[in-house]
Amino acid sequence: MLLAGINFPPISDVLNWKAIAFSGSPFALNKVGLITLVSAGITLLLFYLAGRQRQLVPSGVQNFVESMVDFINNSIVLDVMGPEGAPWAPYLTGLFFFILFSNLFEVIPFIQMPATARMSVPAPLAIMVWFTFITVGIRAQGIGHYFKNAVVPSGVPGPLLVILVPLEILSNFIVRPFALAVRLFGNLLAGHLLLLTFAVISEAMFVKSIGLVILPLPFAMLTALTGYEIFVSALQAFIFTILSALYIAEAMKSQH
Amino acid sequence: MITTVIIAADSSNPILPATGEIIWSVLSFLLLLLLLGKWAYPPVKKMMADRAAKIRNDIDAAELARAEAQRTLEEYREQLAQAKREATHILDEARQTGEALRADLLAKAEEDLAILRSRNEEALRIERQRVIAELRSEVGSLALELAEKIIDAEVDRAASQSLIDSFISEIGAMQA
Repeated sequence: MLLAGINFPPISDVLNWKAIAFSGSPFALNKVGLITLVSAGITLLLFYLAGRQRQLVPSGVQNFVESMVDFINNSIVLDVMGPEGAPWAPYLTGLFFFILFSNLFEVIPFIQMPATARMSVPAPLAIMVWFTFITVGIRAQGIGHYFKNAVVPSGVPGPLLVILVPLEILSNFIVRPFALAVRLFGNLLAGHLLLLTFAVISEAMFVKSIGLVILPLPFAMLTALTGYEIFVSALQAFIFTILSALYIAEAMKSQH
Repeated sequence: MITTVIIAADSSNPILPATGEIIWSVLSFLLLLLLLGKWAYPPVKKMMADRAAKIRNDIDAAELARAEAQRTLEEYREQLAQAKREATHILDEARQTGEALRADLLAKAEEDLAILRSRNEEALRIERQRVIAELRSEVGSLALELAEKIIDAEVDRAASQSLIDSFISEIGAMQA
């Protein structure tokens, strides 16, 4: 058995990281916390550099940042929220970049850990979005109107409401944040474990001379999956952001 | 089988988040939102808006300039046509004036010529009359003189003949 010779690391070794600073306190800073800080830092640095260049014809960092801002503005803010969503553009841009860079650390050599593969990142983000859209709804429509519009579908006969109202409550206020968090977390955790698996197999093949014959297969898979994970990182950041925009937009206007 | 190995080897829960991680991720995200919204996002957004405005203005200005140029061109064309018309007009006028002047001059010259000619003719006529009158008196006196000579040399026929000849040649010389 070839697999018998492969030592998969325990999952806690690749997900639970030791504290680098403030060990023992609630503020224990580990690899995941550091990645989130660095992701925020990279985003700010990119915007700082882009804002400092101020060229009429953008190039380099300015070009990248501006095209991303333009993409978020057109594909998320304007498409989903319309012109009245413009004040939300910085929030959504920050959300997108923060998730994107947290995800991309999955394929950065020697770091190879997506911060979003820990529930500690997607869950607070989802809760913040949940909090945001409820607050926006209450401020835009008033507390009574908002909750009535959100949970009571219009034009539905009375008896059906008995079934529909609990379903709406469940779908709008419980499933939404849960799905947001789990979708991001699950995708990135799965990607992380996939890359890990193929990296471990490739390494084992390389170490065991007998495995050299089939070494190219897991290694090719590892290479292909690395590319695929870059795509998934961007896609999941986009999905999280566009769904957040959708929830906020829905709360801004009564849809029923 | 791989999953079994992983799960079996794991003691802690891979799903539940750690407190420190939550604190740092929330902190970094909120910090990012704050700094991005207050300080990093507006310049980029403003620059993009400024550029859009500048491009829009440039296009408008270019459109205005084009319309202006078109209008100027039309004006120039109109002026050119006007100038051409004027030039033709001036030329026509000049030609007409020249023609009239030439006709006038010609008429005057002809008139002068006629006057001159009639004056000459008059002078000639007077001169001729004067000459004829003079000749008449001269011939008369000559005839008288001849008659005297004939009478004087009546006898000499041959001498008369030569006298007549010399008289005639004398007249011829006078006439010449």
